[in-house]
Amino acid sequence: MARMAKILGVAALMFFAAFAPAFAHHGGSEYDTKNPVTLKGAVTEYYWANPHCQIYLDVKDDKGKTLNWAIETLAPAVMKRAGWNRELLHPGDVITVTVVPSKNGTPVGMVRKLVLPNGQELGPGQIGEQPPQ
Amino acid sequence: MRNQPIVWIALIATAIGCPAAGLGQTGKAGGKSADTKDLPYDAHDITGVWNPAPYMQPKDEVNPLALNGEPTPLPPFTPWGKQKYAENLKFIKAGDVNDCDPFGTARNFFTPRPFEVIQAKDRMLQHYEYYDNWREIFTDGRGVPDDVDPDFMGYSTGKWEGDAFVVDSLDYNGKQFLTWTGLPLTESMHQTERWQRIDHDTLKVYFTFDDPKAYTQPWHITFFYKLKNWRLDAHPCTLSELKKWDSLGHKDRLPGLDYAPAK
Repeated sequence: MARMAKILGVAALMFFAAFAPAFAHHGGSEYDTKNPVTLKGAVTEYYWANPHCQIYLDVKDDKGKTLNWAIETLAPAVMKRAGWNRELLHPGDVITVTVVPSKNGTPVGMVRKLVLPNGQELGPGQIGEQPPQ
Repeated sequence: MRNQPIVWIALIATAIGCPAAGLGQTGKAGGKSADTKDLPYDAHDITGVWNPAPYMQPKDEVNPLALNGEPTPLPPFTPWGKQKYAENLKFIKAGDVNDCDPFGTARNFFTPRPFEVIQAKDRMLQHYEYYDNWREIFTDGRGVPDDVDPDFMGYSTGKWEGDAFVVDSLDYNGKQFLTWTGLPLTESMHQTERWQRIDHDTLKVYFTFDDPKAYTQPWHITFFYKLKNWRLDAHPCTLSELKKWDSLGHKDRLPGLDYAPAK
């Protein structure tokens, strides 16, 4: 229930930060996309399914208190193209994740970057084509 | 059904706004595509997996992904269409969505997920990764039968006109939005598309929406797609996964963006 409550606090994401200014109105309403945070902790659960995957991560805050973060990803189809898979994470794995956190201060976020225990870095996946750089 | 697609697109959009993993022609994480656009190609062969490139759409057109964001032209609504659009926007904000329904033949193309084209002797098949939607376009010269039951995907026929594959679609049930933004789609819709492979890597589709119940005149969207050597990964909408997702606390997290069946 605590986890649910945490997640319920999240909400309406951010449609739109980059893909489209078009998405701007929903964008960022709940996730602070301008201030990503990097978390290091131990995986407690890895949920791999549609519509989105989710990582639960025990992270100690500055006061030494452990918070269980709920970190969302995109759909498995998208994540696979970014190098993720069902067996990528297991409980106990110590990982580093950069997320855009919930604006309301709950330990909830949307993944931006994952660093595996072996140092390998994976991105968050993408939808649609991006303009040439 | 629920608003999970809204959650989905929100998440995707969030991710789109992120520094994303580079996905190129190889489909491998971090792999940049080789420049293959100048390779030879058969203009009449559009088989393959295509990924939307919304950034290529002309800026003066209705933006099908402008979710109450940046100013964008609106299509020429009839009074009914204007009212319906306003209702759809309220519905979107209310979040009471009902969505495992097929997206239809417009919204599927404006969803930033890939689709595959398979050309058969008498049909062209289109498979959309998101929700696993399929579309048949009959190319055997038939017209639209009189006894077609309207449905979400309509009934499509197609033929080559020079280097353009021209598709005519009718018989929609009107129970879906035309776009994520809530533009109406009714039973009176006649959708046409002109598909043109403009280089090895790029497909241009010119959509014309002629729906006199909702719009005073036909209007257009031009959308582009890039060829990928990906394999589509099933992303069906399943009740079991939706229930699980809801159990994680995602239910009603977002304002809905989906279709409310007309009462």
